[in-house]
Amino acid sequence: MATRARTDEKTLGSEKLREALVGYGFILLPLASFFVFSIYPLIYALYISYFDWGALGKIDNVGFGNYREIFDDFLFRKALKNTLLYTAVVVPCQMALGLSMAVIVNQALRARTFFRAAFYFPSLASSAAITAIALYLLSSDGLLNSIIGSVRGETYAHSWFGESSTALQSIMGLNIWTTSGTMMLFYLASLQSISTDVYEAAAIDGAGSWRTFWKITFPLLKPGHFFVAVISVIGSLQIFDQAFFVSGGGGGPNYSTMTIVLYLYNTAINEVRFGYASAVGIVLFVIIFTLTLGQRLLFGRAESA
Amino acid sequence: MRKRLALPVVLGVVVVFAAVLAAGSQGKTDVASSSHATAASGSVTLSGWSVGKTEEELLNQVVSAFERKFPKIDVKYDSIPNYDQAMLAKFSARKPPDVFYLNSEKAPTWISQGLIAPLNSYVSKSKFPTKPFYPRLLGAFKAKGNTYGFPKDWSPLAMEVNLDLLAKVGAKPPKTWAQLRSVAQKLKSVMTGTARPICLATEWQRMLAFVYQNKGSVLTKGRPTFTSPAVRQAVEYYVGLQRDGLGNSPAKLGAGWCGEAIGKEKAAIAFEGNWAYPYLPETFPGLKWRFYPMPKGKVPGTLAFTVAYSTSPASKNKAAAWELIKYLTGPAGMKLWTSKGLALPARSDVKVNFPAPSRKPLLSEAGYAHVWIWPNGWDKVWTVGNNELGAVFEGKQSIPDMLSKIQSEAQSAR
Repeated sequence: MATRARTDEKTLGSEKLREALVGYGFILLPLASFFVFSIYPLIYALYISYFDWGALGKIDNVGFGNYREIFDDFLFRKALKNTLLYTAVVVPCQMALGLSMAVIVNQALRARTFFRAAFYFPSLASSAAITAIALYLLSSDGLLNSIIGSVRGETYAHSWFGESSTALQSIMGLNIWTTSGTMMLFYLASLQSISTDVYEAAAIDGAGSWRTFWKITFPLLKPGHFFVAVISVIGSLQIFDQAFFVSGGGGGPNYSTMTIVLYLYNTAINEVRFGYASAVGIVLFVIIFTLTLGQRLLFGRAESA
Repeated sequence: MRKRLALPVVLGVVVVFAAVLAAGSQGKTDVASSSHATAASGSVTLSGWSVGKTEEELLNQVVSAFERKFPKIDVKYDSIPNYDQAMLAKFSARKPPDVFYLNSEKAPTWISQGLIAPLNSYVSKSKFPTKPFYPRLLGAFKAKGNTYGFPKDWSPLAMEVNLDLLAKVGAKPPKTWAQLRSVAQKLKSVMTGTARPICLATEWQRMLAFVYQNKGSVLTKGRPTFTSPAVRQAVEYYVGLQRDGLGNSPAKLGAGWCGEAIGKEKAAIAFEGNWAYPYLPETFPGLKWRFYPMPKGKVPGTLAFTVAYSTSPASKNKAAAWELIKYLTGPAGMKLWTSKGLALPARSDVKVNFPAPSRKPLLSEAGYAHVWIWPNGWDKVWTVGNNELGAVFEGKQSIPDMLSKIQSEAQSAR
């Protein structure tokens, strides 16, 4: 086909057009669903964020009123602070844990498949089920406190989710554990794309395994780091389920589990203020977009190399 | 070449989809405006949230009884998970169920947004007697002279008491604030580990009952009054029980809620409603417990929670919907619905032989119970209120500071 096109100068353009159309034809369905379910709602959310918008639609035009209210609201500021703190702790831990697990299961271990499955398993379980079990394990008379109590030799009755000093931290721990399996999977794919030649060259030069990891594996994983960091940051900024289950939707105790998406959910579902909730969503989008752009600048050069 | 091609193609796809969406929405409005049923026949959809299989089966029985009485009306009952969320989506799509649950807590917001149809004309046309409903419950669904729903059932907060633990220290169920304190003092000796005599939820949805018992109110003539002395004293009494080791929050006791705390004997006294049944006998069969009226402060006082049957202006079969509402909240339907003790009748003319424990203490509170219902925008006031109360329980916030913070939040509520 291509040869025939080259012989006939006049049909060159239309042939390329045909090729492009066939290409678009193949991706038409996913592209269409992307527009209908992602781009269209996003633009629509931006539109309704300038209105007082209820369940039946437009109530009043408020311009930037919703945005002004967001930044005046101390509850949103608490949510923002909690969400950023959560992200700052969870992302590095998730990446470190995911990478170490990936390195472990990338070795020629016995029962390697078992470990891969075992490490990935928490990511498959529903977050509601995991949170429900964690609520039992970390309750004031739960398993964790019994263990701490028997080690210390005195009863220990700290309510991990019930105290504002540890509620968010407990959710952090829970999520680092559950999602690290997914991060492991991404890192594993990246690890296996590194050519064995470089390792052989390093071995010939007499590099030990520690040095090989830090001087060869770690820098060559840069595209992997970028991808995992982006996924992890986006996921962390959208933290909702665990905060919802732990606090019953209230973000307590003492605002410790109030997150941006929980705040958004409450304004949309309980207060039925869809315009305001959309404005919160847009603010979250801007935060995520900015951070992702920043990460691209940070990792960008290596990715294109 | 390829890059220049991309934009027109993409735009084409957008235009096609915009056209499809526009056509779709137009079709919808046509259907909605064209159908108008007048006779009570045809099919109606009925929806509520699910509280378990027993309750769903019971409602199915009530619905069958209705269908036997009105053979021309076909009822399709579905319970909806994530009720509020799903219902708002249905309202937005102009396709809500014909008859549905309306929680008193949501009523002001849902009514103000035009989601709920006023029933006045149906009530007067069919001469439906409204007198038998407990006035305080029916009042929750009235706004600006219109009635938007009829309560299907209700429950006040009452006091659940573990009789074995009280017998152990030779105490009787307390009837006043002073007695509650002294009984709790006695119980202290038998509560070990994380257990405490009283389960104190860190929620205004429980604590506010004590405010009413102290002749206080957080909303007086449409204005928030959180900082009034009567409110402060009641909060001081409630928090004082925790500070003196006579009670604790369910999380600290090692339970998800106060009903569970009673069941696990982490507390001997709790303040919950009829929903403690059938949870307690089913989950903790050996437990000896009973309902008692809330302790009395200066006056008797408690909170009540109620749910109505309502319909929406978008309903396509309003006549049949009204027949169903009339039956479900009428004497026969309500008697069947409350016969198993899963819910309390919202009408004084429905007498039920409840399974044990006795519900008399709950029903006796009907005359003075305050329904949990607040102006638009107060949802956030209570989110702040409960977080602040949690901080007070942790000793990180003082009671006057909490009250002025909630007061200013309520003043700016919208």
